[in-house]
Amino acid sequence: MSNAIYASLSRQQGLMKEMQVVANNLANSSTTGYKTDRAIFAEFLVGTGPSQDSLSMGGLAGHSFKFEQGDMNFTGGQFDLAVQGEGFFVLQTEQGPRLTRAGYFQLSPESTLVDPFGNAVLGAGGNPITIPAEASQVSIGSDGSISANGQLVDRVGVVTPQGELQRDSNTMFSAPQGYAPFEEATVVQGALEQSNVMPVLEVARMIEVQRAYEAGQAMLEREDQRINQLISAVRER
Amino acid sequence: MKSLQIAASGMAAQQTRVDVISNNIANMSTAAYRPRTAEFSDLMYQQYLTPGTITSQVGTVVPAGIQIGTGVRPSTVSMEITQGALRQTEAELDLAIDGAGFLELTLPSGEPAYTRDGKLNRSATGEVVTMDGYPLADGIVIPEDARRISISRDGEVVAYFADEAIGQPIGTISLVRFVNEKGLEALGDNMFRETEASGPANRLVPGTEGVGYIRQGFLEDSGVDVVKEIADLIEAQRGYELNSKVITASDEMMAATTRMR
Repeated sequence: MSNAIYASLSRQQGLMKEMQVVANNLANSSTTGYKTDRAIFAEFLVGTGPSQDSLSMGGLAGHSFKFEQGDMNFTGGQFDLAVQGEGFFVLQTEQGPRLTRAGYFQLSPESTLVDPFGNAVLGAGGNPITIPAEASQVSIGSDGSISANGQLVDRVGVVTPQGELQRDSNTMFSAPQGYAPFEEATVVQGALEQSNVMPVLEVARMIEVQRAYEAGQAMLEREDQRINQLISAVRER
Repeated sequence: MKSLQIAASGMAAQQTRVDVISNNIANMSTAAYRPRTAEFSDLMYQQYLTPGTITSQVGTVVPAGIQIGTGVRPSTVSMEITQGALRQTEAELDLAIDGAGFLELTLPSGEPAYTRDGKLNRSATGEVVTMDGYPLADGIVIPEDARRISISRDGEVVAYFADEAIGQPIGTISLVRFVNEKGLEALGDNMFRETEASGPANRLVPGTEGVGYIRQGFLEDSGVDVVKEIADLIEAQRGYELNSKVITASDEMMAATTRMR
């Protein structure tokens, strides 16, 4: 096969993957605390020897999250929390601590603050938060301090990751290089942070990907015709 | 082509949301109904290139790697803990709970069930029962010759007889509280059942330890905010359409592939 076909195939494969990224963003346009994903493409060179012709291919090299603040959806729920600005809540999972922006919390039967999957939300001290069972009014201040019936109980831990984050399912992130407490965080009670996916941008990107894919396909067809013509021309001589 | 399945999961999620919203709207006049909300979470990520993979001898690492998501799923559909507006009815056996808590009922099977719908009636034997005929677990029986019933804020039931100015206490209605009300299992007919997630039922005197008061002659309205539901419905519908656009685009990309040759 000719190099033109290889180069264009590498692009087609990348576009297929990018379509998945766009589809996943749109599928999660109503997911609380979801952060938009972006695909990053990079060139890689094949055959870079001194006497060789070099061929440049495009491939999916990485991805990045868009950590912009999502819209706040005011629900009024007592344990619906959102972080305004920087910072993440910490959940204790079987796989270790996980960070999340989705503050859809509730109480476990043991009266500890948990996420919908039962993972405990960690307080500023790194321990699960227990709310007194008889508390009728729980208020959570902007610094994350929890008071039940006027008594300070604990503080919701908000952290910033050190190094890059890795995505996990259930809108959780893992921080392989650890995290540090973030004291200046602003916690909002009674609100949930909506997905920060911007449907307009995603649809525009989707159309772009689709057209680029079709263009790539046309390119492959032309190359195929060219080789065919070449073969028949050689045969006729 | 993964994007087809991903978009399909998105459509299914929005469909779930529409189902939940339509049930809320349908129950906009149901006494003490608490609206439900659907919450979603993303599915697992497929690792193509793990972040942190070493890329050179000097120890440089891949900063973000390639992780591609596989869609969305509903994570929970749970009730909002809201207090519906209290509506005055003046009926003697209409009770509303002002604050947290549930009335405890006994089902025909003998099992307990919990409700906030305080539209109560008197059975043929004088027992205080719900609209479906299930008796209150407190076992209040109203004497046949009672002229009037008064129920205090803390649940004390007093019967007044024809010739007496001072009533006679005939029982107390207690309220039940759960640590996690969102963990209750809905049984329909405005009733709930205790589960592992809700924690055990805690029977309390109304007005103590965080439970609300009982208000005689009032009923709690549905907590559904129709304006909010309609706004959510529009959002869900647009979300559904967006995901269907992804399916169309992916389909056209596949068509382009098959047209080749």
